[in-house]
Amino acid sequence: MSTTSPQESVIDDVQIIEDEIADLERRLNEAKAKRNHHHTRSRQQQQQQQQLTSSDPPQPIPPSPTHFLLLLSDSALPLGSFAFSSGLESYLAHHKHFFLSSSSLSFNSFLPLSISSYASTTLPFLLTAYRDPSFHSLSSLDDIQDASIICTVGRRASTAQGRALLGIWERSFQHEFPTTSAEDIKAFSKLVKKSSAEEIPAASAHLAPLFGAICRWVGLSAQETAYVFLLGHVKALVSAAVRAGMFGPYQAQKTLSSGMVQGLIDAMIARDWETPVEMAGQNVPVMDLWFGRHEMLYSRIFNS
Amino acid sequence: MNSPFPKSSSSPGEGRIVAKLLPEGISGLEVFSYQYPLKLISPSRPSETKSVLVFLLSYGGGLVAGDNVKLEVDLLANAKLTIVTQGHTKVFNSVTPDIVTRQTMHVNIASGAAFCLLPDPVQPFAGSVYEQTQIFKLHQDASICLLDWVTQGRTARGENWSFVRWTGRNELWSIGDGSQTTRDRLLVRDAVILGSNKAHPQLPALQESMHGMGVIGTMLLRGPLMKTLGEFFLSEFAALPRLGARDFRSDAAKNAAPVERSRRERWRIERLGMEKDKTILWSAANVRGCVVVKFGSPSVEAGRLWIGSMLQEEGSIAESFGDHALMCVR
Repeated sequence: MSTTSPQESVIDDVQIIEDEIADLERRLNEAKAKRNHHHTRSRQQQQQQQQLTSSDPPQPIPPSPTHFLLLLSDSALPLGSFAFSSGLESYLAHHKHFFLSSSSLSFNSFLPLSISSYASTTLPFLLTAYRDPSFHSLSSLDDIQDASIICTVGRRASTAQGRALLGIWERSFQHEFPTTSAEDIKAFSKLVKKSSAEEIPAASAHLAPLFGAICRWVGLSAQETAYVFLLGHVKALVSAAVRAGMFGPYQAQKTLSSGMVQGLIDAMIARDWETPVEMAGQNVPVMDLWFGRHEMLYSRIFNS
Repeated sequence: MNSPFPKSSSSPGEGRIVAKLLPEGISGLEVFSYQYPLKLISPSRPSETKSVLVFLLSYGGGLVAGDNVKLEVDLLANAKLTIVTQGHTKVFNSVTPDIVTRQTMHVNIASGAAFCLLPDPVQPFAGSVYEQTQIFKLHQDASICLLDWVTQGRTARGENWSFVRWTGRNELWSIGDGSQTTRDRLLVRDAVILGSNKAHPQLPALQESMHGMGVIGTMLLRGPLMKTLGEFFLSEFAALPRLGARDFRSDAAKNAAPVERSRRERWRIERLGMEKDKTILWSAANVRGCVVVKFGSPSVEAGRLWIGSMLQEEGSIAESFGDHALMCVR
């Protein structure tokens, strides 16, 4: 063993402190999320108690955040996520036909890169919209994200799912939240429809900011919002891997339930919890190439 | 900047360039100042006059940890400016990660003016910490050609994406005329964040996540002078052979007398051969009226040859800015 230089030990020390800070921040956020949950739950329990004890007719229970957390994480949520492989299909094709690589391709090496890249490019937009879901904030975040997605395929994937989510909110969820944000979303939706033909659209309905705003309106915590958003990405990737024939449904569930996926999502949320949208960016440059070159595939089963 | 006296740059690393169209119809420099460690050179007897040429240099041939270079550039109406470098921009190592080496460029391009920035790539050494921010504000009919590329480091010394952190951010803004209908608008933000800090043990090391690429680059194009070049990149991208396509022709048909090929077609076949041999990956996209080209190459020299070949074949950079604009990409 060689002795470490003083420089390295300083870097190591800083690294240890950084890690500790990140860990503490993550735990604080988790604790806050738990507290929020307790608040909402105890409120609901009180209401239920009142209903049980009083002879008055039962009052309607306000929509529970947990209920909407489950709906937003459901694969049956019609966002069309199954149509996108987030560069996986292109990555596989490039390795087969371009690099002529004989080594077996591991999904477990693509997955962490994809989560990391997705988090560093989209989480700042998601969380900023969650923290301020007003019309002004939402339309400005949407416009900035439109300028930040520098490839056609990625832009299509983001707006297709974002528009679907906008539709779900307007046609379905909104009825349970008649007073929430009605003006903000109405104005945003109008802007999206109006500008669809413009060369530089005023609003395109990208997925991340809309998802953040909607999670806020249905009462999820910021932590839950980020978690369900990244988990949705992982689920879409795993489902794409199954459909591309990389592995079967049991392996898929094994991957989804693994500590690795949970740990990665937590680590990404902690890393980009405070990242401002100006600092959102690509940390896996080849991912842009897989995405951008998806259109070059001779045969394809996914839209990205 | 209506003051007849140029603002002096008194802080270390600051520089200022104002390019304008001279009465004789060629571009010249109205303001040209810089402070150590930044160094700017403009040939006093330029061999070409299509654009005014400036070399962006630094004393000692690189940026030492903690250097903070800040360049403010103004292109007045219809001026043409070209900025190049002489060799890779080396970024030396930092003793601790909080010592950041920065390079910032703010460029304002007035109506009808055109800016060409085709430098050598940035070469971050092992242990370096670097942040680059380049903001370009384009008024109506302004044009820009920008190349931003970064290498794996000094391969001769075994470096392979061995730096601590490298971040690069490029923004193109369109500037309105102040009326209600045209407001300032972000057109494109290209941001790359590369770091050795692993947020989770399952994440691969930076070197591994680069998938064998030795250089990655981005080219941004916008404006009337870049129209044909942008279309060229888009059409060449659309013409790339499909991955996994098979040739279903019979042997007889394949061996039939070859069709007459144009010079462009012969160039394309040769270029595609190079892309395949050198595993050069690239893509081009139209993003909000700008063309964004992304490329990666295992070898820095192959990457240079590739981008140079594209620019030379299309020809409009040399035509608009002069041959000297291409000196770093051949």
